[in-house]
Amino acid sequence: MSETNEPREVPQPHDAAPDSVDALRDAVAAYGLDALDADERAAVERALADDAELRGEAEGFAETAALLASATAPVEPPPALRSRLMAQLDALPQQQLPDAAAPAVPAVRAAPSEPAPAVRRAELETGPAERAAQRRWFQRPGAIIAAAAASVVLIAGAIIGVGWAGPNGWGAQREMAAIAEAPDVESSTHEVEGGGAVTLYWSAEQGRSGVVVEGLPDVGETSTYELWYIDDAGAQSAGTFDVAGGETWRVLEGDFAPGVAVGVTVEPAGGSPQPTTEPIVVIST
Amino acid sequence: MARTTTNAGSGMLERVADRDSDLTAPAPVSTAEQLLTRIGTGDREAFGELYDQTSARVFGLVRRLVVDPAQAEEVTQDVYLEIWQTAPRFDAARGSALAWMFTLAHRRSVDRIRASQAARDRDLRIGVRDLDVPVDTVAETVEIRVEHERVVGALEDLSELQRECVSLAYYGGLTQSEIADRLEVPLGTVKTRLRDGMIRLRTALGVTT
Repeated sequence: MSETNEPREVPQPHDAAPDSVDALRDAVAAYGLDALDADERAAVERALADDAELRGEAEGFAETAALLASATAPVEPPPALRSRLMAQLDALPQQQLPDAAAPAVPAVRAAPSEPAPAVRRAELETGPAERAAQRRWFQRPGAIIAAAAASVVLIAGAIIGVGWAGPNGWGAQREMAAIAEAPDVESSTHEVEGGGAVTLYWSAEQGRSGVVVEGLPDVGETSTYELWYIDDAGAQSAGTFDVAGGETWRVLEGDFAPGVAVGVTVEPAGGSPQPTTEPIVVIST
Repeated sequence: MARTTTNAGSGMLERVADRDSDLTAPAPVSTAEQLLTRIGTGDREAFGELYDQTSARVFGLVRRLVVDPAQAEEVTQDVYLEIWQTAPRFDAARGSALAWMFTLAHRRSVDRIRASQAARDRDLRIGVRDLDVPVDTVAETVEIRVEHERVVGALEDLSELQRECVSLAYYGGLTQSEIADRLEVPLGTVKTRLRDGMIRLRTALGVTT
């Protein structure tokens, strides 16, 4: 009550953060139960990155929720699962802790830790050979996990010790790596007028695609980039992204079908159900 | 096994000996935390051991959420592959290994449900199965049984409305908005029940933050 007319003690740097401390506290309990939808989840994670006290609260709820698993009955999985798992280990690189000190002070939006982004951007512009080199870099799942997503992992990992969440979380990283590793993976890089480049990777076999964007301008808090699958039936949203330091990557939401085109538009924050602006790039497959 | 150090600290030695004899009993040789630490260095044998110790519990949780057995198996596979990949990041100071694994399994299960099943199917399924506190009674070790009973007891101590919301969320995989729709109560009410319920559970289960 007494606080109503006071300015917020901690300014919220992020657009979608819940409004009040109370709302956040409610959301953190639901977060521990995985009872938030993707947008709400992302908002809570951004808030957690800024607030150590809230993070402690979230860890307690996560631990509490995990205990609820103890009330379910154990069920033996099919025996084949074990051997299938063991057979896959060699192909899967482990994520090494890049910097032991980092989780202690989680950065809100750490700068992408890819090696020398400027250099790679230059490579993109120079020609097919360099492009191939870049693709090879990307196709190594260890490299993408360690490089393209390391900063995000650090943030998420700092929150509750496990960071699978969000469009750049571990689940998404595994998906992205799976696309990049697919035997039939193809890619196409398009430069964007006004600077930057978008590379689409797709696997028809997996029915999935992902983009790596570099050098795109930040469109600010009131706008966002939106991805679209475009076919004869029209455009279907495949998720939104914002860039940090001009770069990010994203697994597209929805199924990829061969022949579909992928477009990027700038939309009002939160995205639009249908494109409202001309695409900055369209990549056909 | 036979550690034959002789020094003045015999009390310590006895404790070590005691623990060794405990460990050579049928009980698991290594804790899940120890195994995860070894897995973090690429130890495949430790991974196999962790799988043997925990897979029935992880699969049990996943099966409860992802009803389809084939999909549940896929999710479980993803969970363990993620454990393998991310074990180097596991930090025992932040919580127990099992809690970490369950958290991971729950999140992946919920993501799978939301991605692959129509809301209608899920409603139907939950309508039949998941409204109540699970009353599964099987538990193969004393340790698991004790914990099981403690959790069931803590759930029973919630108000009925709190328990309903928490159960729909955790065992049904519903979002708070879906719960509000389903129970035909305002979203704010669901949020409050979830929060109050979780606070009570946290206290009852002795989780310190």
